[in-house]
Amino acid sequence: MQSPVNWALLGLVIERPSYAYELAQRFEHAYRGALSLSSISHVYTALGTLTRRSLIEEVPGTRAGRQPKPRYRATAKGVEDYREWLVSQVHEDRRRQRLFVLQLAALTRNPEAALEIIARYEQACLEEAGKIPIPSRDRAPVDAGSDLIARLLSEEHRLAVGSKLSWVEYARREFKALANVRASRR
Amino acid sequence: MTLLTLEHVGKRYRDGPHERVALREVSLRLEPGELAAVWGRRRSGRSTLLRVAAGIETPDTGFVRFDGRDLADRGEDVLGAGIGYCQKTFRSVEGQAVLDQVMMPLLARGLSPSVAQSRTSDALARVDATRCAALRLSELDGADAVRVALARALALQPRLLVIDEPTKGVDLLARDGILILLRSLADEGVAVLASTGDSTGLSGADRTLALSEGELRGAPTPELAPVVPLRRSVGRYANG
Repeated sequence: MQSPVNWALLGLVIERPSYAYELAQRFEHAYRGALSLSSISHVYTALGTLTRRSLIEEVPGTRAGRQPKPRYRATAKGVEDYREWLVSQVHEDRRRQRLFVLQLAALTRNPEAALEIIARYEQACLEEAGKIPIPSRDRAPVDAGSDLIARLLSEEHRLAVGSKLSWVEYARREFKALANVRASRR
Repeated sequence: MTLLTLEHVGKRYRDGPHERVALREVSLRLEPGELAAVWGRRRSGRSTLLRVAAGIETPDTGFVRFDGRDLADRGEDVLGAGIGYCQKTFRSVEGQAVLDQVMMPLLARGLSPSVAQSRTSDALARVDATRCAALRLSELDGADAVRVALARALALQPRLLVIDEPTKGVDLLARDGILILLRSLADEGVAVLASTGDSTGLSGADRTLALSEGELRGAPTPELAPVVPLRRSVGRYANG
């Protein structure tokens, strides 16, 4: 299963059993700015996929009544697969970063151009770092769970930007050295 | 109005048989109420930059102006007269008690004991370290040591606060409290220039810069900094 929306919905169901409309609302709240639903029918399609794959199931007895609102809960397989998928995202991040480096390496014949890109990349990282909010640590949080998520997200974001800044430092040295070698050959 | 201006500042040190360039043509402007954070690795020149900006060291080339006046013309009266350089180490000659450490610079500048006492209490309260007043220095943890050091600088009522690696040695879970405190000082109108070797120390800054091999990169002036909503830097990540 490739769809990040499907995995996100599975995560929400694991957190708390919900019916479709409620899931759509929780999705919008939790993933605003990161993922989006095309429409409510997107949720129904995803729930169908998750059910067919035995990752979620209907809570018995919730389809009754004139306006049935079946609630969904995660299966043991759903919880296990979700954990595995989360861990696999490390490799996905790695893949994206590797792609950028490989594309930059295409400029080894023109180190000055690479240095310019590195400078712009660094500038973007610096701007991003400054925009990351400092998460508050309320003494009596109203919603301890969402405060914790905010802090975890902030820390992950800050450290990710930091590793890019360190990489920029290294890449700049490498391309400067390359530029010097090329200049001495001319 | 620009409070601090560094223009084409250069600084070199002799390092055995070698000469090391600590700052290379560094230009920077800082406005009142602005928080600028400089990221750099060890030996990048970041501590030199801060000492030069605070007037503790003079540049070899270029100039540093504070409030329109060249720091080189102001002799030794700069610290405590508008610029607060936050020293995270404490001098034992100023006493082993937190209260003494914060009060001593005030008494040294001729303030009466009662005024010094009042300012000390206010400064400790401002940094949420009133509980530390009766402690000895050896009893402070990393975060409280930074808060006390900030109180010592703030007691002199600076318009520019310079602090080197404010979160170094601070417990991970206490670190953001220090960053929020610096942000709040800037929001009250104090210009803050901080360095960090750790990218987490950049969050909440109005301007983020990088220093490497003595070269400062990023937006050297506020006009070149990215526009971000006012007071957007503290709070819930999801709403940021």
